[in-house]
Amino acid sequence: MGLEEKLPEGILTTTVESLVNWGRQNSTWPLLFGLACCAMEMIATGTARHDIARFGSELFRASPRQADLIIVSGRVSNKMAPVIKRIYDQMLEPKWVIAMGICASAGGPFNNYAIIQGVDKIIPVDVYVPGCPPRPEALLYALEKLHQKQSKETFAKYKQPATPVFMKPEEIDSLDSLHVKQLA
Amino acid sequence: MLNVSPIRRPYETLPNLNDISIPAVAGLPSGETEDTKRIVERFGEDIIAAGEHNSQQVVYVHADNLLDLVNFVKNEANLSYEGLIDVTALDRSKLPIGGAERFHLVYQLRSYQRKQHLMIVCPAPGGDSPVVPSLTPIFQGANWPEREVLDLMGVTFTGHPDPRRILMPAHWPYHPLRKEIPEGGEPVPFSMTFDDPEFETLGKQILPSESIAPALPPGMNREHMILNMGPHHPSTHGVLRLVVELDGETVINIDPDLGYLHSGFEKTGENKRYKDYVYYSDRMDYLSAMNNNYGYVLTIEKLLGLPIPERAQVIRVIMSELQRIASHLFWLSTHVLDVSGTGMSLLMYATRERERILDLFEMVCGARLTLSYIRIGGVWKDLPPAFLTNLRDLLKMLPKQFDEYEAMLTSGPLWRKRLEGIGYLSREDAINMGMSGPMLRGSGVDWDLRRDMPYGGYENYDFKVPVSNAGDCYARYLNRMEEMRQSVRIIEQAVANLPDGLYRTDERKISLPPRAELDVSMEALIHHFKLVTEGFRVPPGMCYQGIEASKGELGYFVYSDGSGVPYRLHVHGPSFNNLFAISKMSKGEMLSDIVTNIGTIDIVLGEVDR
Repeated sequence: MGLEEKLPEGILTTTVESLVNWGRQNSTWPLLFGLACCAMEMIATGTARHDIARFGSELFRASPRQADLIIVSGRVSNKMAPVIKRIYDQMLEPKWVIAMGICASAGGPFNNYAIIQGVDKIIPVDVYVPGCPPRPEALLYALEKLHQKQSKETFAKYKQPATPVFMKPEEIDSLDSLHVKQLA
Repeated sequence: MLNVSPIRRPYETLPNLNDISIPAVAGLPSGETEDTKRIVERFGEDIIAAGEHNSQQVVYVHADNLLDLVNFVKNEANLSYEGLIDVTALDRSKLPIGGAERFHLVYQLRSYQRKQHLMIVCPAPGGDSPVVPSLTPIFQGANWPEREVLDLMGVTFTGHPDPRRILMPAHWPYHPLRKEIPEGGEPVPFSMTFDDPEFETLGKQILPSESIAPALPPGMNREHMILNMGPHHPSTHGVLRLVVELDGETVINIDPDLGYLHSGFEKTGENKRYKDYVYYSDRMDYLSAMNNNYGYVLTIEKLLGLPIPERAQVIRVIMSELQRIASHLFWLSTHVLDVSGTGMSLLMYATRERERILDLFEMVCGARLTLSYIRIGGVWKDLPPAFLTNLRDLLKMLPKQFDEYEAMLTSGPLWRKRLEGIGYLSREDAINMGMSGPMLRGSGVDWDLRRDMPYGGYENYDFKVPVSNAGDCYARYLNRMEEMRQSVRIIEQAVANLPDGLYRTDERKISLPPRAELDVSMEALIHHFKLVTEGFRVPPGMCYQGIEASKGELGYFVYSDGSGVPYRLHVHGPSFNNLFAISKMSKGEMLSDIVTNIGTIDIVLGEVDR
């Protein structure tokens, strides 16, 4: 096996990418965020019988800055949609989305004025879980599916195009103008 | 738009339609009761009609006399209707009558001393932009229900202290429950290939998130600190938003912002057949689906005048009480988690017991949360053979577990310090604000619908109603713990006296025939076909039925025009009224006590926002 034969015991070789992916898969922290009925099953997944800790996702974080995964657990109303979008935008990369239940996936039984027909209209979704509500086992299966997806990710996906911004100090009249220039 | 197939409303077939002047198809109340007699004696010509309708006391009154009438029935010693349960409105524009006022306001009043219920109907003058006097000077609890009617129906309440929208976003262009507004929604793509134009927009719909400058709620002062709690907050039990005005850490003012989970349950109900709405009722208070089913089917059965087999009634009581225990267990675990940092263990313990109850539900209907087990005419299927054995095991175990929880909490200094004296609500306020359930009983009002206005055979059971005069969070905690024990008692009695017989009515116009009958009976096949494709029709009338759900009084108001679809379906969720007390309870307390108060009210946002 080439290099590994020459190495002393206790040393493994891997790529940084697969090491990082391995770490991400086994500690995907979900956002402590519940919408409707599915949130109850999400909580049930977190408790002793189903024990989401077996998959490294027991640490529900209340701040979007600390969370990797948002489980959209329930129906998304017109009033809530901008909030979900804002929370998603506040989460740091890399981030993943599970649309839990049929309401979050496609509107479900609520095809009416109040409900957005699927959260994928406002944020991109990685895994859809069918069910109304899905059983905890279904959510755990979705988490497994997400792990498979995470294992195939590459760094290139997150690479930002390098476009350095040069501004002379006198051009900066406020922090906002700097921001606008960077975005442009 | 893909909804139910077009509904033919059978107006033409109704006899003497033109004879009915004011309340369209439902018919005026007839006869008289003692209360309506006294009201008619006092007001004479100002009362349009009074009497009984579907064995409920109903009074029709002109808008000019509404305040006088409500003041009279509230303060008169022999009437004393001191609680306003619910306010809703009825848009009659699609009913086949002309000339009369388009909107009717419907008020539900309750006399706790005399155990009486009174429905007041007030035709609102003003045609398409109706105006009625607000009841807020008499009942504080009218505030939110009136705002809801304003939001969803577009009724103006003169003298309302805070006439803003409550559920829909402030900029929403219309009032969704008006009859000319369609249900809304989107066409459902049924294409098989991605070449179809239906898929052109798929994946391209991602919206930008624009930031909207938050408006300061009325009555708040920028000189204090304004803190925004929610809608994404770990201890608001869902998507509740509270705008809190703080002086240091002392709460000066709270403005709850609801509607983040508004799902249009009422509009959906008015476009679904009676039998199909049972599944929607699960998703309102998703922690007590059985009770929501129960309230809905009782209302429809009352309109139908349908007798329910004895066995079905007892099964319903068992399920309703099991659901109450499950809901209270969840309340306990989240309340402890919010209040004391050491509560994670109790969350694990209480949900362990809750899972056992959910196992029983799974045994009877296959679902854990959205059960739809209680159906119109009875229950879905009979109890499976192993159910009773497992239930008995559970009943033996539960009281011991309750003792264990109480050993961890009741005399714990931390727990008492966080709960005693917090969230005080006086008896008068609790009644005046329209509280119900444990909130009412925690403030010293001895009221339980199961005992005082029995439904579904609750009069046959022996149980105590825990009441406490303290009016604080600790009293409500003790009451709920006792309620769980009493529920166990009720279930034990029900199991001991479970009769044999039908689990669902054999009235074939209402309930599906058994599968085996379809193979041999043409009649059964026809009934099956008619029920599945058209459902059944409900005679014209209106009806309010309240049940004691785990969080308080859950009421359904249904107005039927004789078709297979409710003309108006209104849900009175207990959490909605109970949550109104949060401002009163939290003012002057610390910020951290808001979390305690949210926990003690035991809100479920699905029911608050509906």
